[in-house]
Order: sequence, then C-alpha cells, then structure tokens
Amino acid sequence: MLILDDLLLRALGVSVPGLDFVSTLELLENLAYKELYNPENIKNQIKENQMLYEFGEISKYEFEDTKSRLIEQLKFIERFEEMNLSVRADILT
Amino acid sequence: MSKDGESGRYVYCIIKAQEEKISFGNIGFQGKEVYTTKYKEFSPVLSDIIFKKFDVEDEEDVKTHSNVINEVMKEHSVIPVAYGMVFKNKKLVEMSMKYGYKAMKKAMKIVDNRVELGVKVILPKDFDRNEQKLDQCKSEFTERLKQVSFDSKNLILFSERLLMNASFLVEADKVQTFSDEVEQLRSKYDSFKFQYSGPWSPYNFVDIHILSKQKGGFR
Repeated sequence: MLILDDLLLRALGVSVPGLDFVSTLELLENLAYKELYNPENIKNQIKENQMLYEFGEISKYEFEDTKSRLIEQLKFIERFEEMNLSVRADILT
Repeated sequence: MSKDGESGRYVYCIIKAQEEKISFGNIGFQGKEVYTTKYKEFSPVLSDIIFKKFDVEDEEDVKTHSNVINEVMKEHSVIPVAYGMVFKNKKLVEMSMKYGYKAMKKAMKIVDNRVELGVKVILPKDFDRNEQKLDQCKSEFTERLKQVSFDSKNLILFSERLLMNASFLVEADKVQTFSDEVEQLRSKYDSFKFQYSGPWSPYNFVDIHILSKQKGGFR
C-alpha cells in the first residue's frame, strides 16, 4: 500500500495548498513546543530564581516554590526528549 | 568509568606539588581522606569512593566538591576538574594525567597564582531601559575591571535584569585592588545591584577534556 503524504508529494515536486498549510501549522507548532520546552530556558529561569533570592528580592518560600516547579518542568522536558515524543511515526506505510 | 557500588577515585582538581603525597584530611565524599598522588610535577587531588551517580541538583555533593577545592586553594593554585569525575582505579587516573599532561602544563601557566572572581550587575525592578546608556555602563564596568585583571570571560545573561555577568582571572596578590575597583563602581552606580563573589577555582578559564567521549569528561 502506498500512501501519498505531503513529504512524498513534495519530493515529487507537487505542491498541494491544503497539505502545505497543515505542514506549516505543524512546523509552527513544533517551533512553539521547542520554545516552551527548551531546557535552556528553564535552566536560565532556575539561575534567575537563584539570583533574585541571593539579591533578597524574593523570600525563601517563593524561591523554594519556584525552584521545585522549575526542576519538575526540567525533568519532564528531559523525559520528553528521551522518549522523542515530538517525532511523528507513520505506522501505516 | 565506574558503575554503582564499585569503588573508584573521585578527582577534585589538579595541583602542582613536590611531595609524593599530601593529605587534606577526611573532608571528601563519604567522609574519606582527600589526598594527592603524583604524576611528574602535577598531583591530582582525589579521594577513594564507592561509586554513585553524581547529580548537579544534589546540593550536598556539590558543596562537598567545592569545599574540598576551597580547602586546597588555600595553599595551592588549582586546575579544576568537573564535578562528578570518578575513575575506576589509580591506573586510569595516571593514564588521564599522562594524556592531559601537555594541556595541564598550559593550563597551569594560566591559573598559577591567580583566582577567579565573579561580578554580576542587575538592574532594579521596573527599570526604564535606555539601551544606549546601559551599553555605556556595561563598557565602563568591563573596561575598568579588565584593567585590574589578567583575563575575563563574559558569561550568559540568563535574565533580562542582568546587565553584566562576567568572570575575571585576577592575580592572587591583586584581589584587593580588584575589590576596590568593584567597590568604586558600586558607589558610582548605586541604583544597580552588584554581586561580587569568589575567589573561585578558575573553571571559566580552563577547559581540558581527557578520556571522555563527551564534553562532560575530565576537564
């Protein structure tokens, strides 16, 4: 069974406007995910939280609370990356 | 490297020493003795350890690692080794010393009798940013501090509030001069918040990778 998907069509030099639009949406979604789930961003937020605490701008409670939330997020992202969940697998081809 | 439960050698840093063995007391991981062995003019500072995973989030372990280095730094110039470096046996430590010898010689020339000092400057909350003025301030900070240091490294500005995040390599006998300069800047720009820290071992000025597939190896 041969399933024509957007990648195959594109390889053949065929552009289907509807599929192109879906593909663009997927690309944008991926970029948004990458931005939202970028471990470097979370690491920077952890450092910022530490810095604000050291400068006395947030309380110990706020510091600990934010820190544990960010570490949870970071662990989640690392697990997410290990499992490679953002990669779509075509199981019908 | 080693597996959980096996014994190994944890390396904290490298120093230059004449003695066959120096003991720094039982200040290492698991309360073990921190001591040196010898390879030519260099001595790795290590302790015996039952291997376990070293996680950067484990504050106690990170603290033990830095406490040992701080203790060693009181008497010696150090080439820092990345946190969590465990070798299976003495032979592997010697092998890494052999392969890293040239790089260590070069690194020691850079760090000998020098320490790392850190300066962070943050902007007040809700600061009305004028990028041109901020750039001028940043240049002034950098230039003035560069004049009283041997080398400097700009580090990541991980927060929008950070105006400057830099490390400076300073001659051990010029730390006071450097501190005075920081103090003068602090007085001149009293609306900014300064964080002046150190002396640290010069992590930002030495980067040796030995016997490691990835960058997280012996460095």
